[in-house]
Amino acid sequence: MRLVLEGFTKRFGDTTVIDALDLTVADGEMIALLGPSGCGKSTTLFAIAGLHQVDEGRILFGNRDVAHVSPQERNVGIVFQNYALYPHMTVAQNIAFPLRVRGERVVEMDRKVREIAGLVQIGELLERKPAQLSGGQQQRVALARALVRKPDVLLLDEPLANLDAKLRMEMRSEIRRVQLETGITAILVTHDQVEAMSICDRIALMKDGGIVQIAEPAEMYINPMDRYVASFLGNPPIAFLDAMADEELRLAGGASLGAAGRLQGLDRLVLGVRPEHYGPGKGVPLEGVVVMLETHGREDLFEVELAGCGRLRAILPAGSGTRIGTNVNWGIDMDHIFVFSPDGRRL
Amino acid sequence: MRQDRIGFLFLTPALIAVVIFYLLPVVMTAVFAFTNMSTATGIRGGGYLVTEQTLRDLSGHGLTGATLSQLADAGYEVDTEGLAALAATFGDRLAGHIEAELGGESFATSRELERALRDLRAPELRITRDRKQAASLFQRSVLNIRHDTADALRDELTGAGIPGGDHDMIIEAAYTGWSWTMRNFELLLSLPSTARYALNTLIYVALTLVLFNVGLGLLLAIATFYLPKPSAAVFRAIWFMPRILPPVLYVLMWKWLMWDNGFLASALAPFGVERINWMLHSEYHAWVAIILINGVVGASFGMIIFASAIKAIPQTLLMAAEVDGATRWQQVRYVILPQMRWPILFVTAYQTLSLLASFEYILLSTGGGPGSATEVWAMAAFRTALNNYGGNLQYGMGATFALVLVIIGTVLSLLYLRFFNFQALLAKPRIER
Ligand SMILES: Nc1ncnc2c1ncn2[C@@H]1O[C@H](COP(=O)(O)OP(=O)(O)OP(=O)(O)O)[C@@H](O)[C@H]1O
Ligand SMILES: [Mg+2]
Repeated sequence: MRLVLEGFTKRFGDTTVIDALDLTVADGEMIALLGPSGCGKSTTLFAIAGLHQVDEGRILFGNRDVAHVSPQERNVGIVFQNYALYPHMTVAQNIAFPLRVRGERVVEMDRKVREIAGLVQIGELLERKPAQLSGGQQQRVALARALVRKPDVLLLDEPLANLDAKLRMEMRSEIRRVQLETGITAILVTHDQVEAMSICDRIALMKDGGIVQIAEPAEMYINPMDRYVASFLGNPPIAFLDAMADEELRLAGGASLGAAGRLQGLDRLVLGVRPEHYGPGKGVPLEGVVVMLETHGREDLFEVELAGCGRLRAILPAGSGTRIGTNVNWGIDMDHIFVFSPDGRRL
Repeated sequence: MRQDRIGFLFLTPALIAVVIFYLLPVVMTAVFAFTNMSTATGIRGGGYLVTEQTLRDLSGHGLTGATLSQLADAGYEVDTEGLAALAATFGDRLAGHIEAELGGESFATSRELERALRDLRAPELRITRDRKQAASLFQRSVLNIRHDTADALRDELTGAGIPGGDHDMIIEAAYTGWSWTMRNFELLLSLPSTARYALNTLIYVALTLVLFNVGLGLLLAIATFYLPKPSAAVFRAIWFMPRILPPVLYVLMWKWLMWDNGFLASALAPFGVERINWMLHSEYHAWVAIILINGVVGASFGMIIFASAIKAIPQTLLMAAEVDGATRWQQVRYVILPQMRWPILFVTAYQTLSLLASFEYILLSTGGGPGSATEVWAMAAFRTALNNYGGNLQYGMGATFALVLVIIGTVLSLLYLRFFNFQALLAKPRIER
């Protein structure tokens, strides 16, 4: 089901946490609400679920405005970071709870519980209590409980934050698999860009209670709207250099990067250079010295101090033999750099 | 080993306190329960005293009438003691005269002695009334004379010519000190009032506990949980007030509310309701009053325990329930209440024991009345042992009442402890797969 937020505003007392937010999630789409801690991701999610009152704006499930409908009547499924399983109920009872409070028949309930437990692969755990499950298993139970009554939208509030790295990757693809299999409209709240990029159709990047950019992950990576978006996506992260443009584009240290073109005459600029676009044999060579080296196995991550104008990161296949302290003459691939104004706008 | 000893050392003050303030009273209660101690017997030893009451008791135990009258009226003897008393009343002259004529003689009855006195023709004893008075001074009875030892009484009995076979029985009956006995327990089982106290206690504990200490406590905790924070705090504070009020003042306010000239009566009077004492008008009024008075104080304890237990339930659990479609009532029924099992059991256990032993609010409000309609076990123990209407405090009997209470309390505690099964309170280890 299509989900639309129109001018959604949320205040806690005098502070406006979300200010006139617009968001459209297509039917069957999985969208990520990505942003730093405190930017209002959970608030938005809880408002969609009906757990928070909406101060202004509309929330449309399909064509139905649910902004002032109680959570009980909204038909959403939600998975919390701490799973929020009912500790005194067995797994089966937990999953059946949304059906039970609706007074469904036992046989019917049983069938649906088994079906959904099969989908999330916890069929053999149905008689356990939550305390007897591992984190990943609890996560699956929470997912099953959210899905069992076929909600209009599935809301996931940092569902993977409590899991260890390996389990997180496993559950990540599990969630995506289940979402694709059920074809449900889903919103995943996360502050982990890798999570957002790897399993979501689109990402809505948030900052201070508003959405900065909505785009498909690749598009957002290749074409960030501003410096904030560019810095948020990518691991290892993008590096920024101060620059200026007369006839030529120059770094703050004076080194020239070639003709300024359309930037000519702007005397304060910031260049964003992703690690993969800086390295030996790319574009204009610049003098620098390696100041940091991280070995990641397949590849090495370098930090290079350019003569007097900041640092760049480079990522190279392992075995280059370059060490800390080595003087390098690597270059920047000028076709892929981002140019920002000093206040962060993309130019 | 050394650490054990140090640990023990640290525990010593607590142990001493437990022994002095808990074990010792219990042991003493148990000891007293098997005695007939009372104000009359004192709590040390006693003497030997044959009284009219002793005679009545003895006649019930099959002492012959002859012996009884002998005890009551052991005859008349003209001895120095009697003469001294006579001298004080009638003068030395008459005393000397009687000593010379009748000294050392014994008479079986008052009439014989009076006749002998008349035959003396003394001017002091011309009137019959004076002769009777004089004769009475020589009466020698076993009655109402206190003896410090059993042997002294035995000598006296021998002197009075009581058959030796009856001595032991008389001496036993005449003992004024306390003695070991099972009579308290027999009495407890046979007295109809015992059953009444037991029933009253059951009503008092069960109704107060179920309706207020747990029921209302739970209701208040849940209600305040859903209330906005500031009003919830005020609401809780109000319910807490009775607990910090001195009981005397608190009960006084209830009395003021319920007396026949009190608030309730006055407020209802304009509507044509008869002015009655709402607290003591009937048994039912008294019971309602007592359960209300105790309940209003007791509810706050449960409320606090339950409220903090509810607060400990993760917020997201209730959010999840809400999104899952559970109404408020379903949230309470399926999410909150099931997680309150231990707090409820704890409050039940704790409050049962405190209610069993408490009676101060009853004592201060209805005083156990009307009649003994609201007299509970603990109060009966208190009255019997320490605050009797008649003034004869029966320590032994009171201790018996108390002992039964101690036993019931201990058994209940053990049961509750089993119920609690503290190990079950700890989360089971997670099974990693
Ligand atoms: N109940 C509340 N009362 C007042 N302010 C609140 C309340 N809940 C959240 N906020 C504020 O709203 C802002 C957004 O909170 P929110 O929980 O949505 O952040 P988030 O993006 O989910 O962060 P995180 O990643 O840490 O979960 C924060 O500044 C927070 O302090
Ligand atoms: Mg959050």
